[in-house]
Amino acid sequence: MVGALALLAAAAFAMDLASQHQAWERRLLTALPDQVVADPQLVRFAIAEARPLYARHCAACHGRDMHGNPALGAPNLSDSTWLYGSGTVYDIERTLLYGVRSGRSKSHNITDMPAFGLTGRLSDGDIRSVVQYVLQLSGDNYDPAAANEGRRVFYGNANCSDCHGMDARGDSGYGAPDLTRNVWNSGGSAEDLYRAIYFGEHRVMPGWRGVLPLEQIRALAVYVYSVSHPTPAQAANTYAQSTTTPGSAAE
Amino acid sequence: MATPDIDVRPARGRLAALLASRPQRSALLPSIGIAAGLLLAALGVFHRAPPDRSTVPAGYAALVNQKGILTSDLISQSVAELGKPFTEVTPAERARVLHEMIDEELLVQRALVLDLPETTTEVREAMTGGVNAQVAAPLLAQQPTDEQLRAYYDAHRAKYTADGSMNVRDLVLHIGGYENADQSMAQANIDATEAVYQLRSGASADYVMEHFGFNDSGRMRFGNEPDFAAKLHLGPTLYPAATRLTEGQVSDPVADTDGLHVLIMEQRRMPTIADFASARTAVYADYREDIAKAAQHENVKILRGQAQIILAPGESE
Repeated sequence: MVGALALLAAAAFAMDLASQHQAWERRLLTALPDQVVADPQLVRFAIAEARPLYARHCAACHGRDMHGNPALGAPNLSDSTWLYGSGTVYDIERTLLYGVRSGRSKSHNITDMPAFGLTGRLSDGDIRSVVQYVLQLSGDNYDPAAANEGRRVFYGNANCSDCHGMDARGDSGYGAPDLTRNVWNSGGSAEDLYRAIYFGEHRVMPGWRGVLPLEQIRALAVYVYSVSHPTPAQAANTYAQSTTTPGSAAE
Repeated sequence: MATPDIDVRPARGRLAALLASRPQRSALLPSIGIAAGLLLAALGVFHRAPPDRSTVPAGYAALVNQKGILTSDLISQSVAELGKPFTEVTPAERARVLHEMIDEELLVQRALVLDLPETTTEVREAMTGGVNAQVAAPLLAQQPTDEQLRAYYDAHRAKYTADGSMNVRDLVLHIGGYENADQSMAQANIDATEAVYQLRSGASADYVMEHFGFNDSGRMRFGNEPDFAAKLHLGPTLYPAATRLTEGQVSDPVADTDGLHVLIMEQRRMPTIADFASARTAVYADYREDIAKAAQHENVKILRGQAQIILAPGESE
């Protein structure tokens, strides 16, 4: 009798927990993406939810420590450099929802890095010169004469500035990386840069909409955000720059 | 006469016995209740309540016939359409964008009711294209090596030929036509062979036309033409004969539907095969296109393996 009552109590407790869990999930999704980070309790809930999901679905490419994998071109998720958007929860969630070049038209897929060497658009010498110029831009050691020549190619027949900008700071609107920060998805050595220019980059990330429930996608976005914005000051800074605002859909 | 059993124990003893015997019966109902309670609790724990269809689930901005419009999509659409950060979007603008999205959703749902995928080519193309793009996407992430590209070029050299061009004079001898009413096939062959001999010996085309009754066929009236155009104009019988001629050569007589033809190649630029270096861009594009097609082909094979396809009698496998 006592045992049955204990079981009943345990079941009631579990029911209560499940109900609370659902309430937290609702709260996580009801808030607009960038509102979530203003609620520490919600962030804690999201992180607890997302950790096992990250290990199961994301760690294979981005690494258990979120530091990325240059061999796969999978970006570091723990720093403050973002290929697409500015690293808000909303931006991260968009990438999670639809992916990068995933074949879904809502994915990030405006452009990709051409295979300059493979297609014969640039000669071997031109590519090596551009590499030196990029090393110069990123504050690394470089050969001045070759970098000077590389600059000419960069703004000339290679047209690199079309995507990376006249100031080479890239454009996160369509995933052109900032070449001045010395942060690289596929490695930043002269050899890595040569390979990127020669073979181009056409990295793909799957979209998770329809695969994972929305609350799990939101939790993952908040988790990645929290890892890449470790201090409250940084978080507040990015939050202030966020593109979203509290409020629900107006009728 | 049997004496009925009379409990002769004292009243206190009877109560004790009653208490000792009744717990088994008295626990039955509560036990059932507890078990049912546990079952319901377990159901409650492991099964979520069915969604309330009258309210919009969290994460969505609207429900249109139970189909959700994501809040994230509303934000994205507002920013793209209004060209400003979402923080600056007014409630009225936001409502307008949302209602546009609702209208779009309604039209999509209507399209499904009207079975547009079944009846409208553009819809079918968009759907098949969408599936193909998703199937090919992961494979396109892999860039080929130089060796793979070179091997592809070697295997598909014919793709990378630059068209040649030809200016060919096409003379025709209409057999049994108005000009040659009495001419038999055998006679026409003899005349055409003689005309070819004359042409190869230096006679002019005008002389042959006048002497043997040939006419200009009119098929190459535009003069010098790229090979693809010449192929179109000369037709499948004459074009192969023309491609075998070098500049200044005269063909043997060729029988076509309208009579016997003799081709005189006046100008010829042979097709050229682009070398690997100059064809690289095209080779790269073709390589990736073939990778995508192979992936799509495999996908269709898998779909066919999972599908039940029954052909009508008379339709072959």
